[in-house]
Amino acid sequence: MTTESWLTKFPEMERASLVAIRKGLDNAYRDFSRSWGESIEAVFDPLLMFLVWLEKLLLTSPWWLVLAAIVALVYGASRSWRLSLGVVVAFLLIGYFGMWENTMRTMSIITVCTLLSIALGVPIGIAMARSDRARSVITPILDIMQTMPAFVYLIPVVMLLGIGKVPGVIAVVIYAIPPVIRLTNLGIRLVDKEVLEAAAAYGATPWQRLAGVQLPLAMPTIMAGINQTIMMALSMVVIASMIGVKGLGQPVLKSITNQYFTMGLFNGLAIVALAITFDRVSQAYARRTQRHLKGGNDA
Amino acid sequence: MLNTRFFFAASVLAVLSTPASAASDCGRVTIADMNWNSASLIANVDRFILKHGYGCDAELVPGDTMPTGTSMVEKGEPDIAPELWSNSLKEAIDKGVAEKRLRIAGKALSDGGEEGFWVPQYMVDKDPSLATIDGIRAKAKLFKHPEDPSKSGFYTCPAGWNCQISAGNLFKALKLADDGFELVDPGSGAGLSGAIAKAFAREEPWFGYYWAPTAVLGKYKMVKVDFGSGIDKNEFLTCTSSAECENPKVTMYPPSLVETVTTEAFATRAPQAFAYLSKRAFKNAQLNELLAWMEDNQADGNIVMEHFLKSYPSTWTPWVSAEVAGKVNKALAGL
Repeated sequence: MTTESWLTKFPEMERASLVAIRKGLDNAYRDFSRSWGESIEAVFDPLLMFLVWLEKLLLTSPWWLVLAAIVALVYGASRSWRLSLGVVVAFLLIGYFGMWENTMRTMSIITVCTLLSIALGVPIGIAMARSDRARSVITPILDIMQTMPAFVYLIPVVMLLGIGKVPGVIAVVIYAIPPVIRLTNLGIRLVDKEVLEAAAAYGATPWQRLAGVQLPLAMPTIMAGINQTIMMALSMVVIASMIGVKGLGQPVLKSITNQYFTMGLFNGLAIVALAITFDRVSQAYARRTQRHLKGGNDA
Repeated sequence: MLNTRFFFAASVLAVLSTPASAASDCGRVTIADMNWNSASLIANVDRFILKHGYGCDAELVPGDTMPTGTSMVEKGEPDIAPELWSNSLKEAIDKGVAEKRLRIAGKALSDGGEEGFWVPQYMVDKDPSLATIDGIRAKAKLFKHPEDPSKSGFYTCPAGWNCQISAGNLFKALKLADDGFELVDPGSGAGLSGAIAKAFAREEPWFGYYWAPTAVLGKYKMVKVDFGSGIDKNEFLTCTSSAECENPKVTMYPPSLVETVTTEAFATRAPQAFAYLSKRAFKNAQLNELLAWMEDNQADGNIVMEHFLKSYPSTWTPWVSAEVAGKVNKALAGL
């Protein structure tokens, strides 16, 4: 043990300097959150108000009205009686097993996360598709967002914004946004060059080419990305509940700490039911709006 | 990581070189390394002393109160839970002891753990009335709910923990809802300590449940709110800590029992090592000091163990025989 050399032991940094680095960065972050926290919190206030409003709306409206609205949305998007009936049965079971309130809470936060991811993700994906430099910068960031363990950024976000919905939404969006960005980029890049040339030859402006040619042709790929985003957002529900987001994640956490397996299973299944509803509806909607792409024989 | 490998190599040598009699009756021992600092420190101290002083093939395994306790009762693994807050799974432990699956070695914290409702020291410095529950009631508007500005927030214990029941019952007994308070579930231990860290970084008001000895209470000075009721231990045990408590009454938290628990198999297999565990107990003041040291140096359990064994020999040598202490000191010198 006394004859340690760099050959037998990795020449690692001295502990004191390592601690100095860790403490230095921690303190810098603490100072940052101390001086900027309140203003950053204020920026997110409208989002928080909207989240609270949506949750209250879903919770205080009578359950049959909410269910009717959901089914109307499902049918409107999918035009499928079978799917609508399946959704009714799933939600009735959820309510019957006493998970209605938590499901509504989860649904409100997931809806906001999904909308936010699409609103941010599609433009970023477009920027990425138009510029190779943007792509080379954004791709590694997306890699980090998808693989960095959530707790690494969860607690710093809590220090900045406190516990509750807003940090929960931020964590979910960080985790769930990459697929929609990646697939928007991919979809636009896959559009035939000749089609674009033809559009240019007709005198289409870049904006017209984007909105009229690239986006519609990329739509199936973008929809696949949105689907993945929804799924990933739902799977983050449990992690988000670790920083005080109410909803289906909380009973799951509770069941983990107490070995209430059935309770965990029920709430897990409710999350699955939500996921399947979101997935089938968005897919059916996409299929219906894109039918013309397949030769237009049954539009 | 490299350090562990060296420990491992050293321990293999140590096991090989110690007389067969000592090594054989102890054998492989798993120690639960709980996911909070004080328990991790104790687990590391136990591992080092069992390994070098008693020739056990001691090994740390990750743990947490509920999973570890349940696994010890059901599967006989891990062998040692060095710091178990036994109130939180009282029934399971009592049953395990009655069925001769578990044996309680003794107190891990000699003064017991401290639980309560706390407010930051800087608030009490400004307004001493906040150290009592009546003062908090009167100033309820200060403690804003994170999601609803019209309400006041009380940060309770995370969902699923046993303290969620007692904190909820006390919240009801104190009728805090009448003053506009609402329970805020932080979701996890990390969420709760994160909320405290945020409040302290900006000197914001905070009111909630916490417990000691913890690095959080070592680092962030807080004042335990006086309910003016004193401790009614019987009421606490029979009603406050039970989910079925219909009519909770106000009582302060009694000191909670924090014990070292081992499996019956380990206790019979290695009586000498078990005797060490029954003597090994920390005082809260000393533990808070060690935890603060840990926090300041961002040390993990392994490093703080070395610091403790080297700097506080007067604390740990009485726990072991002179012969064992000699072996441990020899191993320490080789670190």
